[in-house]
Amino acid sequence: MKQILQQLVAGHSGFIELRYHKRTSNSFVAQKGRVDVANHSVTEGVGVRALVGSAWGFAATADISEAAIKRAIRQAQYNASALAKVRAKGELSLARGRLSHLDFTGPGFNELVAMPLADKLGQIVSLERKLAQASSHMHTARCRYNEIIEEKSIVTSDGAACSLRIAQPELSLTAIAEKDGERATGQRGAGVNGGWECLMAHPSLHDAVGETAKIAVDLLAAKYPEGGQKTVILSPAVVGLLCHEAIGHTVEADFVKAGSVAQGKIGQRVASDLVTMADSGNETIAGYAVGNLPFDDEGVETENTVIIENGILRSYLHNRETAAEFGVQPTGNARAWLFNDEPLIRMRNTYLMPGTRHLADMIAEVDDGYLVEGAGSGQADANGEFMFGTGYVYRIKDGKKTELLREATLSGIAFDVLKTVDAVSQEFLWDLGTGYCGKGQAAKVDAGGPYVRCKITVGGEQQ
Amino acid sequence: MSDAGQVDDLTQVAANLNKLAEFALDTAKNLGADAAKISTGASFQKRLVVDNKEFTLANSLASRSIGIVVHKDQKKGSASVNITTEDSIKHAVESALALAKYSVPDPALIFATKAEAPPASPLNFLYEEKLATVELDQMREIMQEVLGRLGADERLALERYEMSVDISFHALGSTTGMRQAERQTMASWSFMGMGRTEGEVTGFDYDGNFSLNAAGILPRSLVDADQFVKRVLGMIKPVRCPSYRGPILLTPRAVQELLMGMMLYHAGGRQVMDGKSRWDKAVGTRVVADSFTLTDSPHDPRFSGATAFDGDGVPTRSQTILERGVLLRHLHDCYSAKRCGATTTATSGGPFALSLSPGNVPLKELTGGQSQLLVVDRFSGNSDPIKGDFSGVAKSSRLYVNGEDRGSVTETMISGNFFAIADAVLGISRESEIVSGSFSSPYVLIDGVSVTGQ
Repeated sequence: MKQILQQLVAGHSGFIELRYHKRTSNSFVAQKGRVDVANHSVTEGVGVRALVGSAWGFAATADISEAAIKRAIRQAQYNASALAKVRAKGELSLARGRLSHLDFTGPGFNELVAMPLADKLGQIVSLERKLAQASSHMHTARCRYNEIIEEKSIVTSDGAACSLRIAQPELSLTAIAEKDGERATGQRGAGVNGGWECLMAHPSLHDAVGETAKIAVDLLAAKYPEGGQKTVILSPAVVGLLCHEAIGHTVEADFVKAGSVAQGKIGQRVASDLVTMADSGNETIAGYAVGNLPFDDEGVETENTVIIENGILRSYLHNRETAAEFGVQPTGNARAWLFNDEPLIRMRNTYLMPGTRHLADMIAEVDDGYLVEGAGSGQADANGEFMFGTGYVYRIKDGKKTELLREATLSGIAFDVLKTVDAVSQEFLWDLGTGYCGKGQAAKVDAGGPYVRCKITVGGEQQ
Repeated sequence: MSDAGQVDDLTQVAANLNKLAEFALDTAKNLGADAAKISTGASFQKRLVVDNKEFTLANSLASRSIGIVVHKDQKKGSASVNITTEDSIKHAVESALALAKYSVPDPALIFATKAEAPPASPLNFLYEEKLATVELDQMREIMQEVLGRLGADERLALERYEMSVDISFHALGSTTGMRQAERQTMASWSFMGMGRTEGEVTGFDYDGNFSLNAAGILPRSLVDADQFVKRVLGMIKPVRCPSYRGPILLTPRAVQELLMGMMLYHAGGRQVMDGKSRWDKAVGTRVVADSFTLTDSPHDPRFSGATAFDGDGVPTRSQTILERGVLLRHLHDCYSAKRCGATTTATSGGPFALSLSPGNVPLKELTGGQSQLLVVDRFSGNSDPIKGDFSGVAKSSRLYVNGEDRGSVTETMISGNFFAIADAVLGISRESEIVSGSFSSPYVLIDGVSVTGQ
């Protein structure tokens, strides 16, 4: 397909970007002894972006014949021309960056594609059955598996010509335990950029059935944590959520242009000097993060973009357009969910760099606080105000991890919280591989980090 | 090249999809399926995007899809494709059957029969020829007028303003003889932005709405834009909110986010079926305060979710879910109805157009009757539907002291329990608003909420 796109893009005046995208996804949900979802889905087509003056036009076609793609090119150019006449700005320039010529097949792609669907479905049904039998208190066991098989070719009129094939499987287990009318939920999940074996080897899935059931049952008798400003140690999943939601979105250059709290703060201190945070398209710490991509949907090679270095804000996340506007190189953050979505600035794998401490030592130094485990849903705002749900919490008393408590809600202003960080662990985990980011379109992302000790507001009851 | 011709295209595409749907049903039977259901869809969309108060993108999309569900030996498999050729459909049917083969038997699997799903009466208001032929230039002119309102105050940082016009068609068919089809035109728009002054950035706010006719786009957009500007600028210079436990006033948006999800969860047939609903044996009894009456009106043109038939192909109908706090029915699709020994309420994929009935108290009385009152406009947080606990941040919210609006608040969390607050209603306003074209609600004053300020 890449060669066809190269032929089609040749001879056009002005900037043209063609993106062929075929997504195959297989989804299974087993619950309460039945299969609720056993679905196979294929979505395929070509998205076309054209730049005329300073206006973008976009068109997409699910018909991948040459004639249909040519029509889509003409439509995108027509759309751009229609807007160009009302744009105040003259010409829009695009930063080049490193335009890719790779033909990339990701780790585990061939393994996952070759594995029969029946085998995968059989294992999901089996896992659900084991979880259902893990405790006499089990009310509901649920096992969800989803895999995305991506095939893309991207060609631009100014030189990008690349293709990729990657696999992104994910698995999650949910247990609802019940006793005396009380119910509690335990969850475990992981997603990887890799094959089936890589997924099952993810640290978060170690003894997943036993751990999921145990948390649900143990939480039945647990109390809620008290609200207020607390010393907390955040787990890698929560750190990842903080990095993605509360910092990452505010440094996306389109949000920066609109006026996010990160606007004008490059070179300023925004966090404790223990904090170094990055967004990477080719992470090397563990090698399996879901957001690994050799190039983005503009054909720009991805990189490890350091956003905060020892507490100082160093970079925003860019596409080719914003990079030119800010006078920097594109960071490879332009991503589109499906062929008929235009690329937006999105994160990939967002994380805090590991530090030098050990978790056990960090706990031993806390007189009164919490260890917060497991990330729930999270949202953050343009001013850096965030709210996250968490899975469960351990009280830390006199340097020891003590009773298990129910989930907490955390909130604060992200940069203020990062300034309170006083310890960062060596232990590191990518732990949001089942997550999807929403910004008009979905995006498969990952996030993680070390354990981090800081002060944060924990939601709770007022008397 | 122009936008014209899409109406003709849709008619042609719909005809082709109908043929392919019949082909898919025949293929499923020929390949051994006991029963099959096909859903088809096609749409043309025109979309204009404004970033930072300037047009940045014009978009034209054509999409189509076919979804197939097969039952074989009481086992289910499904597949979907957007390549609408006989080969790709045959492959999809084979994939669905292959998945069904390795699934788990379920005697309750069922498709609606022809008797349960007779042809639905079309909702003619869903399609307007004039809207179907609106062109990008007309959309741009409307947006330029709306931008005049949105861009008048420099303190409003408009991150994005979008408008789209969609012409769509969707149809269902099954081997049981069910056949339904519906076409629709819809213009929709959304705003997202924040307040920004020297040294201060507020939180984001957003709003959206729709029109089913061309004439309604501009006047409704202008009203929405004025409200949006007022709300965003009102967030500048926030005040501290005290911590207290007591009443809060939920705006219609907050009612949707905080109360509706919980009510629908426990009234939902799937939750009843799985033993997750606390209202599984509560039909005919009072489950929330007697001031709550909740209805679903799928044929009401004020709502974007209006539709003539549900996801099972069963014709929709207006129905009351809660009447003066009493649960009148669970909301079932064909599957949950069979599992529960009930009949479908035609709410597969629904409910579609919910209204919470207004009360009789003027809004001013609700805000004026408390010494301190947090008026919550959006809730950003987590809810545990099983226990009913919720906790999160009150967004775009304001503090009233003795009836006086003291300003917006920031970093303010609320927590409580749905079952407690749904029974602790202090008043419901006589004024109602439709939220984003999807839900009509009054303001609701509830007690027993923990408010944690800065």
